[in-house]
Amino acid sequence: MLANYLIGLREGLEAALVIGILVAYLVRTQRRDLLPSVWIGVGVATAVSLAVGAALTLGPRGLSFTAQELIGGGLSIVAVGLITWMIFWMGKTARYLKQHLEDGMERAIAVGKGAILAMALIAVGREGLEIALFLWAGIEAAGSTTAPIIGAVLGLATAIALGSLIYRGAVRINLRVFFQWTGVFLIIVAAGVLSYGIHDLQEAGVLPGLNTLAFDVSDTITPGSVLGTVLKGIFNFSPTTTVLEAVAWVAYVVPTMWLFVRMAFARAPQQAPQQAVSTSA
Amino acid sequence: MITHHRWALACALPTAVLVLTACTGSASGDEVTVPVSSTDDGCVVAQTSVPAGNVVFAVTNDGSRETEFYVYKEDGTTIVAEVEHVGPGLTRDLVATLKPGTYITSCDPGMDGDDIRAEFVAADAG
Repeated sequence: MLANYLIGLREGLEAALVIGILVAYLVRTQRRDLLPSVWIGVGVATAVSLAVGAALTLGPRGLSFTAQELIGGGLSIVAVGLITWMIFWMGKTARYLKQHLEDGMERAIAVGKGAILAMALIAVGREGLEIALFLWAGIEAAGSTTAPIIGAVLGLATAIALGSLIYRGAVRINLRVFFQWTGVFLIIVAAGVLSYGIHDLQEAGVLPGLNTLAFDVSDTITPGSVLGTVLKGIFNFSPTTTVLEAVAWVAYVVPTMWLFVRMAFARAPQQAPQQAVSTSA
Repeated sequence: MITHHRWALACALPTAVLVLTACTGSASGDEVTVPVSSTDDGCVVAQTSVPAGNVVFAVTNDGSRETEFYVYKEDGTTIVAEVEHVGPGLTRDLVATLKPGTYITSCDPGMDGDDIRAEFVAADAG
């Protein structure tokens, strides 16, 4: 039961956190009108994953290993693009908040329903098929033992609960601080997704170097442990990381973090005169 | 423009998944099912030889830790097929199309790389 619980938690955590942050962002920037797009994205991704998972589990056709890895790897790289876009969208808002330029902020957060929907769709759909296959296996086993499916569902429920906790925390903290630190957090998440995608493509044989490891700490951080589960679930940390994964991670994090910190943490020169005006008024 | 582009993306992805699904996998009928039992310290593959073609490895986790099952080429490093997230008590099917030759099967209980390997032959039906 515990092992199945940890799989459910690990697979659901990242999607739940990203959706929690996205919802908090829309609520705090007064864009509640876009929330239905989030839920449609989540709903469609869940439904498609479960349907495809059912067809593959119960139907006569299986999904070939290479196709599965290509889907996993491909969706991961699309997800990195979308999360990066979300990070800079938030960063822009943080900058305008500092400058007290309400008009600028209006423009910065102007975003289409389609973009929000795609974000939610990919956040859930990326691992959705893999989770669905795991759940259907649990349902198939339910005839002899219900422990796996109960463990898996409880794990997913915990992930969703943690996502809603992030949301609750995010609606309380200072708005600018929220954008700055969720941005930093999401950059690390996106880098992990990129590494994961690279690993899938290495397993599929599309990219080389599957057995060229940068480091192996699997004796210290065992994949089945609670620590291993949380690190994997949030940051896609792999105790056995290949050189290519490590290079991609660093090549993503360094420039992205630099650009983001410059944007979201920068002192706004316009602020001083504005404050002077407001104190004298 | 941008909005339209993103909508297109949102619609294209599930479609791509479905198309890929339809195009891959094995036709039913002539495939062999090989049960595999993965325990915390063992890996029992019910057969060591099958006719070349589509093979379904029905991997059951009879241990207490999460496990993975791999089929490698003879070199022991190139992955032919793999199934992950096999929680205790679950059975997951791995469909592999095996050309005639020698392969290595592997269970990795605990996913720590400390795996249990065995030779597996796909025989040429001739």
